[in-house]
Amino acid sequence: MKEKEEIFENIYHSNYDKVMRICLGYTAGNNDEAGDLTQEVFIKVWSSLNEFRNESKMATWIYRITVNTCLTRLRKLKKKVKNYDVESVIDVPQENETIDKEIMYEGLYNCINKLSETNRAIILLELEGLPQKEIAEVIGIKHEAIRTRIHRIKNELIKCVNNE
Amino acid sequence: MNSFEEIQSKWNDQDKIKAPKDGFKSLMKRIEEIKNKQKITNGVLLATVLVLGGFFFYISGYNNHQVILGLLLMIGSLIIRVVIELLSIKKLQRINRSMDNTLFKQELTKYYNKRRIIHIVITPLIVLFYAIGFVILLPLFKVNLSASFYTYILASSVLTLLILGLFIAKQIKKELEDLRILKDSQ
Repeated sequence: MKEKEEIFENIYHSNYDKVMRICLGYTAGNNDEAGDLTQEVFIKVWSSLNEFRNESKMATWIYRITVNTCLTRLRKLKKKVKNYDVESVIDVPQENETIDKEIMYEGLYNCINKLSETNRAIILLELEGLPQKEIAEVIGIKHEAIRTRIHRIKNELIKCVNNE
Repeated sequence: MNSFEEIQSKWNDQDKIKAPKDGFKSLMKRIEEIKNKQKITNGVLLATVLVLGGFFFYISGYNNHQVILGLLLMIGSLIIRVVIELLSIKKLQRINRSMDNTLFKQELTKYYNKRRIIHIVITPLIVLFYAIGFVILLPLFKVNLSASFYTYILASSVLTLLILGLFIAKQIKKELEDLRILKDSQ
């Protein structure tokens, strides 16, 4: 048990950043929501740890749990994200540069949030730098199909970011 | 941002998110809480069955067929509903989240389709059996209880049925919405 906990603690610290960023993509940048979701992901990681086989990389395995966990919370998230006010995160006076940066990221997260669930997962994994072969493994689509799909999603995202 | 490379570079520029200081500790605490919650739920269920069974013997219900039938219908339908709900929760928790997203969606869709059958067919039947059991016991209540208490039981049961109905309807609406979102998410 102690050994399992140590392994888990290691997994937690080395993957927290990745999981949180994917979750932020599902919550349109809402930190609290993403934090809750991240906790749920790691609870699932803990309960499935005994089932992990070295057939896939640990990161791929965790990404699968992350996108699937985010999927189960879509309705709840949709409702909350809709009520999420971009202005509310900038209520304290900050340096202009920081504010610009926050607004830019909010815009980016909102555009990601407008994509369909599968496309959102794909582009978040692409942005995280996961090789396309592994993205295909996480999503369960053929490698060739992922390549064309990523190209299409990138164009969609660029259009949205530029408000076209 | 005119190209994806620019978006990618901004994405990479984000500050590294560190796990909260006591994040792991509170995560383990939460895992422990979930385990305890499951134990408490099982305990409460067992206690309810024991109390109802005890009550049945206390009033020597086994001597009266009307009491047996009424109580069996009421307790039986309640137990069946609770067991179905617990099995459903377990089933949802047991869907392997480390499978690929496409397979996971199929499993989740199957789960919600089964839930729809539970809500549309099984739940109304359970409520019907519960109500029949109650109606069977009503004459006995009338004979054995004071008029005011009898009226109270009658009124509160109708109210409970209405509240329960609303609650179930809300739950069905939520889960059908989940199913719709799931189908739209491709």
